[in-house]
Order: sequence, then C-alpha cells, then structure tokens
Amino acid sequence: MIQAIKVYFANVFTGIWTVLVGMRLTFWHLFTPSVTLQYPDEKWELPPGARAQLFNNIDDCIGCGFCVKVCPVDCIYMDTVRTGPGEDLGKTTTGNPKRLHVLRFDIDMAKCCYCNLCTIPCPTECLQMTPKYENSVYNRANLLYHYATYTPDEAARIRAEAAKREAEEAEKRKAAAAAKAAAAKAAPKEGAAKGGAAKPAPVGQEIAAKPAE
Amino acid sequence: MHAETGDEGGNMLRSWLKWGETEVEEEAPTLPPQEYRVSQAIEWEGGEMILSMGPQHPSTHGVLRLALVTDGEIVKKVTPHLGYMHRCFEKHAEAVDYPGVIPYTDRIDYLASMSQNITYALTVEKLMGLKVPERVEYIRVIMCEFNRIASHLVSIGTYGLDIGAFTPFLWCFRDREKILDLLEWVSGARMLYNYIWIGGLARDLPEDWVERAKSFLDYFESKVDELNNLLSYNKIFIERTAEVGILTAEKAISYGVTGPNLRASGVKWDLRRNDPYSIYDRFDFDIPVGIDTYGPLGSCWNRYMVRVWEVQQSIKILRQALAVLPPGDVQEAIPKKIRVPKGEVYARTETPRGEMGFYLISDSSDKPFRLKCRAPSFSNISAIVDMLDSRTMIADIVAIIGSIDIVLCDIDR
Repeated sequence: MIQAIKVYFANVFTGIWTVLVGMRLTFWHLFTPSVTLQYPDEKWELPPGARAQLFNNIDDCIGCGFCVKVCPVDCIYMDTVRTGPGEDLGKTTTGNPKRLHVLRFDIDMAKCCYCNLCTIPCPTECLQMTPKYENSVYNRANLLYHYATYTPDEAARIRAEAAKREAEEAEKRKAAAAAKAAAAKAAPKEGAAKGGAAKPAPVGQEIAAKPAE
Repeated sequence: MHAETGDEGGNMLRSWLKWGETEVEEEAPTLPPQEYRVSQAIEWEGGEMILSMGPQHPSTHGVLRLALVTDGEIVKKVTPHLGYMHRCFEKHAEAVDYPGVIPYTDRIDYLASMSQNITYALTVEKLMGLKVPERVEYIRVIMCEFNRIASHLVSIGTYGLDIGAFTPFLWCFRDREKILDLLEWVSGARMLYNYIWIGGLARDLPEDWVERAKSFLDYFESKVDELNNLLSYNKIFIERTAEVGILTAEKAISYGVTGPNLRASGVKWDLRRNDPYSIYDRFDFDIPVGIDTYGPLGSCWNRYMVRVWEVQQSIKILRQALAVLPPGDVQEAIPKKIRVPKGEVYARTETPRGEMGFYLISDSSDKPFRLKCRAPSFSNISAIVDMLDSRTMIADIVAIIGSIDIVLCDIDR
C-alpha cells in the first residue's frame, strides 16, 4: 500500500520533471535564429548541377536518338528525316556535322522522372538539366515542351521530299536486283556451281527464353 | 512504346518456366483456409465492430488499410490489406535496360533511395564479377549512411507526431534538410538520386563536400542528445510506448522481420556485421539492441530507441569514412555496354527498414529477364497481427504502426 503510494507520487514527479526538461529545450530555442525561408520573397539557391527542368539546345542537336533510347519512361518523342544531297545544315558548336532534320523533338515533362539518364549519352551535350524548378502550369498539355523549330509547312515539305527520294531509291534498288537476276539466269552453269556450296547451318538457338522485342 | 517481354499478356510464371524448362501442372486455384482469408464475412459476435483504418489515414504512413476487429476500444484482431501502392516495379524492370532500372529502384523506398541503388548495383556487379575502385566503395558507404540518418530522422519525427509531439518532428526535418542539401549538391536531386550506378557512381564529389559533411556531423551530434532529452526519455512517451506492441524474438524471426525491429526484440543481427557487403567490415561500430529498462524487449519504445542509437552509430561510421576517403576516378569501372552473363544471383543489404534483396535472373540480353525484390517492410508489417495483447487499444495501433516504420512503396513496390 505504502509502496503503491510511493510509486504514484514518483510517477507524478517524473512526469512533471521530464516535461520541464523538454520545455527548457524549447525555451532556449526561442533565442536561436530561425531557419524558415520566406519562400516567394526569398528563394533558395540550388547548387549547380541540380536536376529540374530539361532543356534541349536544338541548334546543337544532331538527332542521334540516344536520349530517346535510354529514357526509362519514354518521355522524349523525336522524328528525324535524313537530309537530301545538296542540303547542308552546318555543324554544331562541338564540331559534329548535322545530317538529320529534327522535325519533332517533344519532351513530356509530366512523364519525366528527372533521373538525368538522357543527358549522359548526348554526344553534343545539347540536352541539359537546368536548376529551374518553378514549372507548374494550369493546363497539363503545357507540360509537353516542343523544341523543334520547323513550321508545319516546312516539315511537311521536307517529309514529302524525303519520301520522293526514298521511292526513287527503292525503284533503283529493284531495278538493280532485277538486272542481277537476269544476269544470273543468263549463265546458269556458273551460277549452279557457285550456289552448290552449301550455306553453313544456322547456329541452333539456345534455351528459347529470349524475350521478343 | 514499351517493349513486350515473353508471351502475350505477360504470363510471368509461364515465361519463367520456359527458362528452367521444367513442367509444372497448373491446378485450379482454391480458396485459402478459413483463418487466412482476408475478405471473409466476419460474424458479429456480441458487439464486435469492424473498423477499417482505411487507406486514407494520416497515421498509417501511407496507403495501408488495416481492418480492425474491435470490442469497444480494445482491438481483438488486425488484418493489413496491401496493394494500394503497387506500381509493377518488377514488370517495369523487365522492360528497361540495366541502367534504366536504377530510377525505378529509387522509388521503392523513397526515404532511403541510395540503399536500393546500392543493393541493385551490388546484385548486377556480383553477377558480372565487376570490381569497383576503392573511392567508389567509400563514397557508396558514405551516401548510404547519410541516407540511413535521413530515413531514421523521418521515422523518429513522424513517430513523435503520431504520438502527439509536434516539436521533434520539425527539428528532425530541419536536420534532415541539411542532409538533403548535401546530397543535392552531390547528385542533383533531393530524394530520388539515381546516383549509385552499376560499376561506379553518376558523378564525383564536388570540391569542399567532405568539409561541409564533416561540419554537418559536428553540428548534428548535439542535436541527437537534444532529441533524447525532448522525446525519448519523456515519461509520457514512455508510458505510451514502452509496454505496447510486444514482439518476442522467436515470433520476429519466424515472421521474417529484419532491421531495427528485429534488433529491438533482442536479436543481434545486422547484415553489415553478420554478412558484410561492400567495405563495412573495415569500420568500427556497434549494433544497438533493445533494452528492458522501461519495459519488455520488443516494445515500441525499443524499436524507436534502436533507431536513435543507429543514428549515433551512423555518425561514427561517417566520421571514419570521411577521414580516409581515397582519391580516384569514380567512373573508370563503369562498362560502356552492360553485358551480364546468363545466370541467377541474390544479393542483400541492410537498408534502414531491414534486409532488402534483389534476385536477378539474366539471359545475357540487355534487359533483366526477371528481377525480384525482397522488400523489408513487407515482412515487417506482416508481424503486426501478432503484436496485439489483451489491452491493445486503437490509439496503440497508431503507436505500433509508427514504430514498425513501414513505407508503403516498399511493401507494394
């Protein structure tokens, strides 16, 4: 009984004492400088190399597509068309010649996971992550950033020219193949002797577990 | 445009079987036995109520649904329902190439991203037989320990918040901000770093980083003592947590609980000491275990205190590592094209939540064939059904969940 009373009062004392210890800490805290940053008026200075908004300097882009391949969430969309003979797009600031029209280069920042894997393989270092972090918009479609500088008419014209060139080349290739077949038929004996050497059997597939791509 | 893997519709079991070339006949699925069913019709026994401490709750540390069967205020049974945060990490890992999996591993346990990065990197390096330079090993340990401190600060702060103490929460987050500033300076991002790559690191440490880190440690050491005075030995806090949520050592081991939860139950098991990976065997640090001064072993208070002591041990490791950081090139061992030989490997590390492991099956293509992640919080939360005793009330459930320190993204991946 006496023990229970003693324990009771000991508990009361310990309770009050630990609360006072805590309050002493918070009291001295009143006299320490505040760590709060008054945000819109004061902004934190991000370190260089901070990863926020992606930016592509399209004049330096050679359209290689490494960034598209490496992105784990597929947020970069790029369409390129080869330049024809006589079209000269010049060189990038790093000295690489530009051989592709980059007709479309869209980055969907809503999908981007800010992992920075795309800037590493860029050969001209035109794709960079900048420290600009205040990018909110009212309409989600505005998070799709367009970097290509061709107007739709120019792009359509370039595509049409490229398609025409492709068609001409396909015609030429077909004609060359037909000519070769005709030449082969004209000399069947030589052709049979050459074709007699059997092709090596294809190497057997290993455990058929290669995922189809 | 995502690549498809294996058969149509991705029947993962089927594609796994093709790999091993054994046949297993599929039987029709049957319901599990009565006591394991989660969505059963519960009989109303004289006044018991089923309360869904639902996925939207400020104290469940994420989207966790706990179905409580309560008799008034006393909780008779607790059943966790998971899956609200499942984002198909393992399926994504089959669709991206090996370096592209690392941002996905970041997001498994976002409070300690470097721990997942290093586990995955160690797994792939083990299978490839890749050796990384000394500087890379030291920097990896430094980053993981900083992440451990940051993660434990969140756990300690939010645990105080769950119990009702607002001040330690903000103080812990103020100190965590300083760590996040250091890590942002190194990797560019505050939380999801994508920094530890297969074979090395993304970037080297900037100039003066080591000095800033050392001065942070000097500043921070006194803050842990402040925290102890304010919260850990506070009588009200002890009353709330010291006799609640008891998990005995045998039960903890049988549920597969790892990490601070296991050590709080009295089992001295830490992968950094018992199965050392990277260069942890070079550092001198203690493994804190629970004590029974204020209540039995395996109580919520013990789980909380083990984390506070671990923060102090991490400071010790950091001081040793920062003192002997060797110079070198952190990117020299990163292969230009990651070629992983065919095979299977399992590698595990000690994250702030417990033991995390990655089981990788590779078929020598450029994408993993199968990557299974063993998440520590998944086993930890399963032990909650056995942490109740006859006097557990609903408020104690809040204390118990906070002390287990789960992260739902880790449970559901």
